[in-house]
Amino acid sequence: MTAVTTRPPSHRQAVAPSGKKRRSASGRLWEASPLTYVCLIGAVVLSAFPIVWSFIISTRSNEDVYKIPPPFLPGGNFIANVTRLLENEEAGFLIGLTNSIFVSTVVTLSVVFFSTLAGFAFAKLRFRGANAALLFIIVTMMVPTQLGIIPLYILMQKLGWLYTLQAVIVPFLVKGFGVFMMRQYAMSAISDELIEAARVDGCSTFRIYWNIVLPALRPAAAVLGLLTFMETWNEFLWPYLVLNDDTPTVQVSLKLLATGYYTTDYVMIFTGTAMALVPLLLVFVVFGRQIIGGIMEGSVKA
Amino acid sequence: MSVTSRRLRTYAAAALVAGLALSSTACSKSDDSDSGEGGTVTVTLQYFGTPGLKEAAEKFNSTHTDIKIDAQNMGELKDFDPKLTQWIATGQGAGDIVMLEEGNLQKFLLEPKGFANLFDLGGKDLKDTFLPYKWEGGQTADKKKLVGLGTDIGGLAMCYRKDLFQKAGFPTERDKVSALWSDWAQWAAKGEEFKAKNTGAAWIDSATSVMQPYIMQKSDTWFYSKDNKFIGDSNPIVKQAWDFGLGLSDKGLTAKLVRWNPDWDAAFKKASFATLPCPAWMTGVISGRAGAEAKGQWDVATIPGGSGNWGGSYLAIPEQSKKKKQAFEALKWITGKEGGLEAYKAAGAMPSNVAALDDPAFKDSKNEYMNNAPTGQIFGASAKALKPIHLGPQHQNLWEKVFEPQMQAAESGKSTSAAAWAKAVEDGKKLAAG
Amino acid sequence: MTTAGISTGRGSKFKLTKLDMKYSPYLYIAPFFILFGAFGLFPLIYTGYVSTRKWTLVGGDKGFVGLDNYTELFGDEKFWNAMFVTFGLFLVGTIPQLLLALLLASWLNKKMKFRTALRMGILLPNITSVAAVGIVFGFIFADRFGLANWGLDLIGIDPVSWRQHRWSSWLAISTMVNWRWIGYNALIYLAAMQAIPKDLYESASIDGASPTRQFWRITVPLIQPTILFTVIISTIGGMQLFTEPLMFNYGQLNGGSLGEFQTISMYIYQQTFELGTRYGYGAAMSWTLFILIMLFAGINFAMVRRSVKGSTT
Repeated sequence: MTAVTTRPPSHRQAVAPSGKKRRSASGRLWEASPLTYVCLIGAVVLSAFPIVWSFIISTRSNEDVYKIPPPFLPGGNFIANVTRLLENEEAGFLIGLTNSIFVSTVVTLSVVFFSTLAGFAFAKLRFRGANAALLFIIVTMMVPTQLGIIPLYILMQKLGWLYTLQAVIVPFLVKGFGVFMMRQYAMSAISDELIEAARVDGCSTFRIYWNIVLPALRPAAAVLGLLTFMETWNEFLWPYLVLNDDTPTVQVSLKLLATGYYTTDYVMIFTGTAMALVPLLLVFVVFGRQIIGGIMEGSVKA
Repeated sequence: MSVTSRRLRTYAAAALVAGLALSSTACSKSDDSDSGEGGTVTVTLQYFGTPGLKEAAEKFNSTHTDIKIDAQNMGELKDFDPKLTQWIATGQGAGDIVMLEEGNLQKFLLEPKGFANLFDLGGKDLKDTFLPYKWEGGQTADKKKLVGLGTDIGGLAMCYRKDLFQKAGFPTERDKVSALWSDWAQWAAKGEEFKAKNTGAAWIDSATSVMQPYIMQKSDTWFYSKDNKFIGDSNPIVKQAWDFGLGLSDKGLTAKLVRWNPDWDAAFKKASFATLPCPAWMTGVISGRAGAEAKGQWDVATIPGGSGNWGGSYLAIPEQSKKKKQAFEALKWITGKEGGLEAYKAAGAMPSNVAALDDPAFKDSKNEYMNNAPTGQIFGASAKALKPIHLGPQHQNLWEKVFEPQMQAAESGKSTSAAAWAKAVEDGKKLAAG
Repeated sequence: MTTAGISTGRGSKFKLTKLDMKYSPYLYIAPFFILFGAFGLFPLIYTGYVSTRKWTLVGGDKGFVGLDNYTELFGDEKFWNAMFVTFGLFLVGTIPQLLLALLLASWLNKKMKFRTALRMGILLPNITSVAAVGIVFGFIFADRFGLANWGLDLIGIDPVSWRQHRWSSWLAISTMVNWRWIGYNALIYLAAMQAIPKDLYESASIDGASPTRQFWRITVPLIQPTILFTVIISTIGGMQLFTEPLMFNYGQLNGGSLGEFQTISMYIYQQTFELGTRYGYGAAMSWTLFILIMLFAGINFAMVRRSVKGSTT
């Protein structure tokens, strides 16, 4: 920081007009060198390796698991392994997959809906207590609510929700982070004039939300939706606690597969992990750019 | 604000509402409706491990039309037991028939209100069809309530790897192998001989493997006295077995493995140890892990000391079941002669039903994988010599969560035997006190 | 904030509009507060209540016991062991994670081809599920046939019994955590770095400062608030570490035979839902952990505030 402040201000101004030229002069600093590429590609390889490896094992046979050196090339048993995985009733993998899609979708839609609604209210409507309420939400974002699982579990028990899907849906229908994110985005994305004009036309507040705000929030809402979907999909501790083996999510199925007593079908376990990753990878491939944008923007705005 | 996007939003909202409404019923494997087509009642049976109950249930389903059994594997005991405890306590979640491990049974017998009294459902007449100790074992202390009917018992033998015995210059034929050891000291001495031959394999998988057979043979109590007081610290046989087990690892006779871990599984594939105390159900474990290429390499000899029991289970009907009558019919068949034999055939689970034990299908049975060993004869003999042992309410947890890990720590050299013992006793007291 | 409230009413509609404008905001924020209150805040606060009671699954609520659960907790060696493990894993898991993320971000903060592909590549671990990846790492760190030991063998190092020692289990678990979070943090740092005016660097290079020097003298101080932000996030996550060590130990809660890697979350879970099912005691541990996290995060937050005030951004 001292380096910044001690610099004479005139110097900076002198540089500015010929900025373009200067940049190319010191441009080497900002061009990625071959070494940078090598390092980054190395990082990507390390990042991808465990995932790729689980896919490789999922194409091999059980004999290969113990081989030394370990197999690094795909084999030809993928279909057979998937068949075995789906036929394994104990883990209920297909049910887990369906349940996870269902749960994640419902939670995502709900979080996006309630977040945009509340975010709009905080950003564009005036009401008493708005600031205090917003501050409260910001604080809750920092609170590890997972530590309340014991009473939450007792609550589920009292409501008779244990071993049903609403136990993993209802507690997660809203998200403080989502409200905050939508509020930040709505502040800049929606002009007050537009809302006022709609009011003059006699639109109710909900119509304004539905017809003006929601479409305007779409990019940010999409990111929120993607992040929520992935988070819900990956949730482990709570579903493991409150779901029965009859009604698993995919993560619970995986745990059942991986630690089944007397189960030594490791290739099937790997096939399960690989299959559980497929929906996420698809989402990531299609929406990766938006997800990255969301993470980067979210951090700057927060 | 195109029409499509508005329509999309409306759909999304509708989907959300519908989804919430659906979530209570959607995508559940269990079927709550009582009857399917043609008045058939389906009862669910929840079991852990591979006791052969699934195969027995399939056989039942093929011969019965009025009742169907939906057998569900609930994974490992350590995962199943906490869940079952929750289900019984909360009155929801359990199946119509549940499997109880003998190490956990006392816990439920002390608080039996979560289970149906099988005496009332017609269990009274079944008394003479079970091994006496197994029949008694399923009742509460006051003998007024029958909670569980016996399924398998873990009659004991000693499994050994023939190729490793041959390498060490030992006899490989099962009668001669049985003659090598009449007690545990002889067996351990053989282990030292084996080690001296440098076969590259250990004598046994882990120090903890001898605990169960050793204690079961020599005592009628373990961690608890018969009035359910914790005596794990003062019961001499426990410490004796502990010292014997860790003595083996001190002499380098154990492979220092942890049962049920993938490394243990790998050790079967790689023939890393030569002997393994073998309850009847263990033969299924061995064949599953050692795989087809090791077929005929494992064989079964008698256990040092000649008898014993390791593991075994009961089936019970939770009070919360709404189909107790049908559940009892299914239960009766499963624990009966046919069910017992079917489970034995499928998984090597040895029946506790007397008629099944006397049936040629059991008595004369041979295990093809284990070099055609006459397992019916070997395990049957062990079961007859068996003395029942009292396991208290927290037995399973005391063993698996307290004593076994400490023993493993001592075996791996992370802790000394004395320190591990002191810690195990301290934690054990705490756990038993609740 | 805004001036959406302009009266436009005519006749009876006026009243309705006024009502709508006055109360609909509350209606819109109500779902969050109701649902969060019921399933987030209430359980958390109720944890404090449960912690003062003797309450078990089988026995039910047996009444007020004051601070007994806390007294027991302070004498509970395993609790302190789990605390030590949690903080230890947090340190060995977070410090390298953030340093490597900084390094990655500085590489990414350049003009390059395949920008998006590279960013996606390093974010990949973060989108995968912990349970699935835990299984894979469990096998990579298997003692007798795992990839890690095979790799060590190639360079002539004896195989390691990964679950037998504190150092080896921590190394394996923190590898899992780091693997998952480095890319994510790198992207956050990258975003902050991109907000730094480039001419600061240009002047610095004219002054003859080396790139390394520029990194430590310009980049790091200017993104300090972001760094502290990631520290807070990592703290909250790290204090609740559960799934990685669980899957590493093949689904067992004991974290090694002597609890070498049993984290506080694992211990709470074990005490509350596996052994003894003691809700009261589990709640006391949860509440203690909660207060510690808040304390930790609060200190960090104060530091953020201070550094924000001190910096120019």
